[in-house]
Amino acid sequence: MIGLGLGDAKDITVKGLEAVRTCARVYLEAYTSVLGASKEELEAFYGVEVIVADRELVESGADDTLIEPAKEENIGFLVVGDPFGATTHTDLVVRARAAGVTVSVIHNASIMNAAGACGLQLYNFGLTVSVVFFTETWRPDSFYNKVKINAAAGLHTLCLLDIKMKEISDENLAKGRMIYDPPRFMTVNQCLSQFLEVEEKYGEGILTADTQVVALARVGQETQVIAAGSIAELLPLDFGPPLHSLVVVGETHFLEDEILAGLSQTAELKPLADGANDDVEAGSTADAIAVAADGAE
Amino acid sequence: MVRFTLSDIREIMNYKENIRCLSVIAHVDHGKSTLTDSLISKAGIISSAKAGEARFTDTRQDEQDRCITIKSTGVSLFYEVDDELVAQFSEAQAASGKNGFLINLIDSPGHVDFSSEVSAALRVTDGALVVVDCVEGVCVQTETVLRQALGERIKPVLMVNKMDRVFLELQLDPEEAYQSFARTIESVNVVIATYNDDALGDVAVYPQEGTVAFGSGLHGWGFTLGRFASLYAKKFGVAEKKMMKKLWGDSFFDPKTKKWRKVARSDKGKPLKRAFCQFVLDPIYKLVNAVMNNETAVMEKMFESLSIKLKGDEKDLLGKPLLKVVMRKFLPAAEALLEMIVLHLPSPVTAQKYRVETLYEGPLDDPCAIAIRDCDPEGPLMLYVSKMVPTSDKGRFYAFGRVFSGVCRTGQKVRIMGPEYVPGKKTDLFIKNIQRTVLMMGRSVDQIEDVPCGNTVGLVGIDQYLLKTGTITTEECAHNFKVMKFSVSPVVRVAVEPKNPSELPKLVEGLKRLSKSDPCVLCISDESTGEHIVAGAGELHLEICLKDLAEDHAGIEIVQSEPVVSYRETVTTNSTETCLSKSPNKHNRIWAEAEPMKVELCDDIENKVVTGRQDAKERARYLIDTYEWDATDAKKIWCFGPEGNGPNLCVDASRAVQYLNEIKDSVVAGFQLASADGVLCDENMRGVRMNITDANLHADTIHRGGGQIIPTSRRVFYACQLTAEPRLLEPVYLVDIQAPDVAIGGIYSTLTTRRGHVFAQDQRPGTPLYHIKAYLPVMESFGFTAALRSQTSGQAFPQCVFDHWQQLSGSPFDDGTSTAEVVAKTRARKGLKEGIPALGNFMDRM
Repeated sequence: MIGLGLGDAKDITVKGLEAVRTCARVYLEAYTSVLGASKEELEAFYGVEVIVADRELVESGADDTLIEPAKEENIGFLVVGDPFGATTHTDLVVRARAAGVTVSVIHNASIMNAAGACGLQLYNFGLTVSVVFFTETWRPDSFYNKVKINAAAGLHTLCLLDIKMKEISDENLAKGRMIYDPPRFMTVNQCLSQFLEVEEKYGEGILTADTQVVALARVGQETQVIAAGSIAELLPLDFGPPLHSLVVVGETHFLEDEILAGLSQTAELKPLADGANDDVEAGSTADAIAVAADGAE
Repeated sequence: MVRFTLSDIREIMNYKENIRCLSVIAHVDHGKSTLTDSLISKAGIISSAKAGEARFTDTRQDEQDRCITIKSTGVSLFYEVDDELVAQFSEAQAASGKNGFLINLIDSPGHVDFSSEVSAALRVTDGALVVVDCVEGVCVQTETVLRQALGERIKPVLMVNKMDRVFLELQLDPEEAYQSFARTIESVNVVIATYNDDALGDVAVYPQEGTVAFGSGLHGWGFTLGRFASLYAKKFGVAEKKMMKKLWGDSFFDPKTKKWRKVARSDKGKPLKRAFCQFVLDPIYKLVNAVMNNETAVMEKMFESLSIKLKGDEKDLLGKPLLKVVMRKFLPAAEALLEMIVLHLPSPVTAQKYRVETLYEGPLDDPCAIAIRDCDPEGPLMLYVSKMVPTSDKGRFYAFGRVFSGVCRTGQKVRIMGPEYVPGKKTDLFIKNIQRTVLMMGRSVDQIEDVPCGNTVGLVGIDQYLLKTGTITTEECAHNFKVMKFSVSPVVRVAVEPKNPSELPKLVEGLKRLSKSDPCVLCISDESTGEHIVAGAGELHLEICLKDLAEDHAGIEIVQSEPVVSYRETVTTNSTETCLSKSPNKHNRIWAEAEPMKVELCDDIENKVVTGRQDAKERARYLIDTYEWDATDAKKIWCFGPEGNGPNLCVDASRAVQYLNEIKDSVVAGFQLASADGVLCDENMRGVRMNITDANLHADTIHRGGGQIIPTSRRVFYACQLTAEPRLLEPVYLVDIQAPDVAIGGIYSTLTTRRGHVFAQDQRPGTPLYHIKAYLPVMESFGFTAALRSQTSGQAFPQCVFDHWQQLSGSPFDDGTSTAEVVAKTRARKGLKEGIPALGNFMDRM
């Protein structure tokens, strides 16, 4: 299991690259995150063929495609970020070991540690939460309580924003049709407006317009953007293509304050185009979707 | 000649006290449409000579050919009534001071297969004219439609029809005839008493109060006791009302002493004749006999004393045709019916006061409810569309309904809300203009500018926004009208395909139209197998639907499969163990158990006594009191299924599971899937309660989304079903047969070869007719009608109506049982893998 890091093809470690080249087959897990590089770029750089593995393959078909062949030869399983980062592939490890397959893990940077790029100390982070797209009927808001627990302990909260890569809508799922929706990525803006909606519901002052947050976009890539400010300040700004993440700031050390102050140069960012916030597939995310769709085929 | 103009009608629409909306309901062949003709002829739409034969409201060719009504048909009629009648009005009735009356009449089908058409008719009317054949008496469908009427708070009046059969066919003497009428009325009142709703008051029918009429629709004559009372009142010097009381029941007149007595003996011990026989039946008998035996002298004398004048050709008539003319002049049926309708059926103002509770879903103190209650033309528009009527323009429909408040105008901008609409949401809601409003006149329509509350109306341009029924309003906060309850369900189905495969798009479009045109039919298109299914209430219903589909809606030749029955899957014990399923990412685990639910509870759910929309506390109380549910469980019902309202429940029986409420939606979705397609052979479940006993979930929302939880919950429900002794239920018809004694043997043998059994058999006193009730599995009912006819030389005609679900014998896992056989056949037909999937597919180990 080889971590690919966050940026492009070249973020793989030397050890990882060596490992890739020993593998009979290499799978790229492409549904929990996206890399800033296409499958072809990876293949060109690694010099091996890369097979894109979707959710069905990893969750339902792992025994046949990954574990069984691994008894005979080396099988590479590439994970964006770190294999045990935001998405933990622990179940795969458990099943492989149970089947008598040796698993070696090659680590890399994950958003879970790269969030430190904003200057907040990783020691001071509490529970990580994910924020998913609200639907008409499904508006899970358990993150509010977790941010509250972190805030009470003075800790920062890393928020991972929803990625829908190869999702089947409930309607299609009900009819048993394997029709995938177009990929969608939550933006910082969408996340912030969901925050405000939930705050209105609970009214405990955890995620108000004045709450300090740090927006992280495309961490580890060349176009990385990091900006700090209140929810109200960041809400109207355009952070560009995905992936986006967010940190809710807890109690700060004086050094953290200094670095945050340096990040508050939000003036460089353009305001979000009208309506872009309503329609996830429109505007700034369009390019990224092209990339993702390419990767996911 | 039509005796009224559209402007007459439009004017009287404003006088809501002068409106009556009524349905004509009865058992099949008891003479509804024929009777309706006399009312229509009175209004001048058809000639009186044709009344009784034209069946004006049977607008379709097949209705005319088969002599049965298939669709309910509305017609609006205008009458001027006599001052005498107006004089009998109560204060409220006389409020408008007008003699004109608008009668919005709907003729409904009597065959059980078309009961849903009756429901649609009843919803938009306030009164019901119940027609009973005096020879056959109260039959199964009489009871069904009466029950439906009372459930909708519709006030009934009774017409004892086909009296000509008593004289000409059975030749009963007057006392026997009286007894037979009395029994019929009594049995109608028994049904009324059984299903009576307190809010409606006592609605039992009594001849002496004028709520029962007697007559013959075919011959166009009929009377209420009021008619005879007015003849005799002067002679006896008693008030008409008092006279009516004396003309019915144990009331006898002693001509010697000129005294009324309560026993059939004079004070000197001589036998006396019943007043009804002496004063009502005797004159009719005499007249009938004189005409039928052609006793010219007697006839002339009687014609003179009854002031019956024959004109031109009529003088040359003899026998039956003459009798028809004479009786019509003596006792015109329309007069009697009109009197009963105008005097004893409620106007919309009266009726909507007590109907609003059963009609409206929203709070009873919101502006819409108040406007409905008061039948307020100034209030917001509240209109219920109860059915779609095909127009001459193929594929388009009139939305037929009733304005309950406000005024419905051509060009008006309205909110069109389907049954799924929830106030404040946008689902199933359209905001559009009404293109045109029309008045339904049987086979034609008349354009009308606007229609105020209390009236029925047809709308043009709404059909593409509503599936079958819906609410139309101008008020933004309006809730829906309650959906109609149907007493039949689509249990017989066939698969259809076009003869020419390239015509598939036409078939699909045709199925959409068919579904719209019939309140009950179910059209299911399965995209994965390419199978198109049409489901109906019975063989006849299905036959009519398929004919319509081929000839009108799709306009193509259609190939149909053998009819198949829909089954239900159920469980008979509690799950033998707590089942566990893990999510695909293995980060979530759900434990659940199945248990059987009482049949009565399933019925309650299907009858909407227990629903998902009901107040949760109220529902919990009911479940605890009636079904001894655990108080904690009763409060934690997650959903009903399938389709959110079926007779299966998903209950949260877990304790303190973190994040459980965040996966509720996904579990509910999984439950809908599982309860719609059970594990045995993808049939709906019935009577299964799934208890979520525990769950272990990933801390983070993103790892327990729908993609993870929906399939997992579905798998765990299947595992639960498999471990709880799953069985199949088959639908069973209640068969009601009226036949003469010679046919009994044939009926029994036909039933026995088809797994049917008779559970009640009685003879109608005074007739050779037997009334037989039996249960017959729907599976065995195909071709039953034809077989029965051939076995009884055409003397027995059955009415089959779905009655209950019955467990098929044997386990689906044992070879050779009928359950296993049905499961195997159904799986093969649906293209499912052979054999019931093993438990290991659904159950995971720790």
